[in-house]
Amino acid sequence: MKLSFSPKLSTFLKPSSVTNLHRSFCSSSISSPPPTSLKPQTPLFLKPPIHSAASSDLQKWHDWAKSLASSVGSTFVDLDNGPDSTLLCREIKWLMEDAIEEESEGMENNQRSIRLRVALEELYMLWKQRVEERRPFQYVVGCEHWRDLVLCVQEGVLIPRPETELIVDLVGDVVLGNEGLREGLWADLGTGSGAIAIGIGRILGTGGRVIATDLSPAAFEVAGFNVQRYGLQDVVELRQGSWLEPLKDMEGKLAGLVSNPPYIPSDDISGLQAEVGRHEPKVALDGGINGMDDLLHICKGAASMLKPGGFFAFETNGEKQCKHLVEYMENDAGGSFCNLKIVPDFAGINRFVTGFHK
Amino acid sequence: MEAHLRPLCSPTAILCPKPPNSKLPQLLQRPTSYTSRFWYTVSTKLSSYCRFPPTVLLATPESQVSTGLNTDTREWAMQDFYFLRRDVETTAERVKEIRDSACLQQLEQEVADLELKAADSSFWDDRAKAQENLSALTDVKDRIRLLNEFKSQVEDAETIVKLTEEMDSVDNGLLEEAASIIKELNKGLDQFELTQLLSGPYDKEGAVIFITAGAGGTDAQDWAEMLLRMYVRWGEKQRYKTRVVEKSQGEEAGIKSATIEVEGRYAYGYLSGEKGTHRIVRQSPFNAKGLRQTSFSGIDVMPLLPEESLKVDLPEEDLEISFSRAGGKGGQNVNKVESAVRITHIPTGVTVRCTEERSQLANKIKALSRLKAKLLVIAEEQRASEIKQIRGDVVKAEWGQQIRNYVFHPYKLVKDVRTGYETSDITCVMDGDLEPYIKAYLKHKYSMKVTAAGVV
Repeated sequence: MKLSFSPKLSTFLKPSSVTNLHRSFCSSSISSPPPTSLKPQTPLFLKPPIHSAASSDLQKWHDWAKSLASSVGSTFVDLDNGPDSTLLCREIKWLMEDAIEEESEGMENNQRSIRLRVALEELYMLWKQRVEERRPFQYVVGCEHWRDLVLCVQEGVLIPRPETELIVDLVGDVVLGNEGLREGLWADLGTGSGAIAIGIGRILGTGGRVIATDLSPAAFEVAGFNVQRYGLQDVVELRQGSWLEPLKDMEGKLAGLVSNPPYIPSDDISGLQAEVGRHEPKVALDGGINGMDDLLHICKGAASMLKPGGFFAFETNGEKQCKHLVEYMENDAGGSFCNLKIVPDFAGINRFVTGFHK
Repeated sequence: MEAHLRPLCSPTAILCPKPPNSKLPQLLQRPTSYTSRFWYTVSTKLSSYCRFPPTVLLATPESQVSTGLNTDTREWAMQDFYFLRRDVETTAERVKEIRDSACLQQLEQEVADLELKAADSSFWDDRAKAQENLSALTDVKDRIRLLNEFKSQVEDAETIVKLTEEMDSVDNGLLEEAASIIKELNKGLDQFELTQLLSGPYDKEGAVIFITAGAGGTDAQDWAEMLLRMYVRWGEKQRYKTRVVEKSQGEEAGIKSATIEVEGRYAYGYLSGEKGTHRIVRQSPFNAKGLRQTSFSGIDVMPLLPEESLKVDLPEEDLEISFSRAGGKGGQNVNKVESAVRITHIPTGVTVRCTEERSQLANKIKALSRLKAKLLVIAEEQRASEIKQIRGDVVKAEWGQQIRNYVFHPYKLVKDVRTGYETSDITCVMDGDLEPYIKAYLKHKYSMKVTAAGVV
């Protein structure tokens, strides 16, 4: 075994099983149609390698993509703290990783043609979108590498952030020595791509279950696709609806409750990095005037949903919001929570609030 | 591991590849390029060691390599025969010495032990261990087979010599055969000795090379990129699977840093001596006046170890893990595919970095593996040389620390500071012909070890 860490999901699932999952997912979505049906797009790395290009032409694309990236310099950084040339160059490498079929990668011979998952013209278009329209890289390739997962994402679904990876670790820590939590029922509110729900679903015991809710039809579809890809249909259940609404039958039964709700103050939205502000769903970002509308809404419901000893973890916009949330839970929530903690993210920003139901 | 350490106990076999009394004309006639050409076959062979029986590779024609005996069809003069006879005698001595120092009996005992283990019904319960066992078994068996082949080959040559002595006439064909046997046999012996030099616990593993541009701005970054190319070319020539897994471009030209993974047998053994500062002297291409410019780049090398062999327990509190993340508010506010992880082992100060993976967690796992590999090597170095201050072991890319100088101007010379090995063919070196340097260093390292052992 090598040290190398496979970045591709295709190694977890054989190509054939992936397509099967895709198919079975589509049929299951027909049997219970959501209000608005949106088919999840196949991410680039799962598309069949039916295109090809001469390696010299691909080289030309690569040179072009690189010069386009270089021309950016620090413009985006100065403008809105966007990516610089170095980051964009790294993305080119990853874009190629996803677009090129692995076995055909050897480029000893200049005349060799390389099998691609997308036509070369489209590759030009994709990179143009990335740089000129500031379309998020994750939407361009249709996936985000998050923890040890490769999650499919697309427009209309929030791209899971690296910070949020920590929520799964926080849950991992509390379930470690607590069988009640490990084998219990969890909920992920506003699941988006299903990232947290899948992450937690993989660390719970055999009896553990996760219910993931989301209002957005696009998120509902994409999360379903991701759950299927990881074979967690029996562990993660998706319910479409707003926050706790679809969980009415679960009152007092939840062992854990986690959420990364929209928390950006409305006034900040217009000044966001273009990749975020222009392309990601506002409904997943805008948390109202002070950004805490949804956080407070969830907190209010949390006490009635969690069973005694149940755990919760919420992500916030950091610092002030954490303090505010803890104050609210201590004073206004009628003393139903204990062991309240503020946990910093890896950049040192106080990002998460965790605690237990009494 | 022990199996590989043992032959080192016989320094004569390694330090004096030719017996001291063999002042043969062949040594003088050997073309200077002999070493590099020879090495090429050897290392290629090493990388595919298990797949091909050595004899197949030893048989590859290398007609330019002269051992003093012209293999062209011609009449054999008596003088040539005497030379051949002497060659056969010295080679026979060499074979005997190598076989003696290899402790054949012990090797056979080892095979028996390993086979006994493999026959155990619980053998496959621990897969990693079983694999380790099997590859050790293959190694020992290979060694024994080689040693026996050496013996039978030299006996063949001896028989021919004896036959010729007894006969009145000279059989050209036979003598040529003997000459070619001796030639190939000596190559095989050279190579066998080299493997003895590569007997460190991780020498057999693949390698990770880290290149960092040192002081000198754009010039140094350009130099770092030249070194990157040099090592990639070297790796390709050895037919190692060579991948540049990380590369950070310089602002104007060149690179700030790069990471190369070299997969294949003995890659670490060969490359470990490349660790250190590499200095270049040339006319700066980035300076309008073309002034002479000195730049440095640091090379760090560590083994590419399989996950299961990293039996290092690192307590969480000994680690300082930092993640690079775009400034600002973070979280939902930012979308950057920036997931670099840097881990510092607080007690030793050793730091590793991983940026090539696409998720934070993946980078963390890889960085941790690298840290473990690095700590293992440092522990090994400490044990080997009794140096207490390897701590940190950071390669300083600056003046006075260089292990090798590459002078492009005013004259052309590549000289290794440690071994004194030098060549003026700088183009070849930059094209990855590092074999003579690597070989010289391995021998140097070995003789240092023997000296150190002698002092104690």
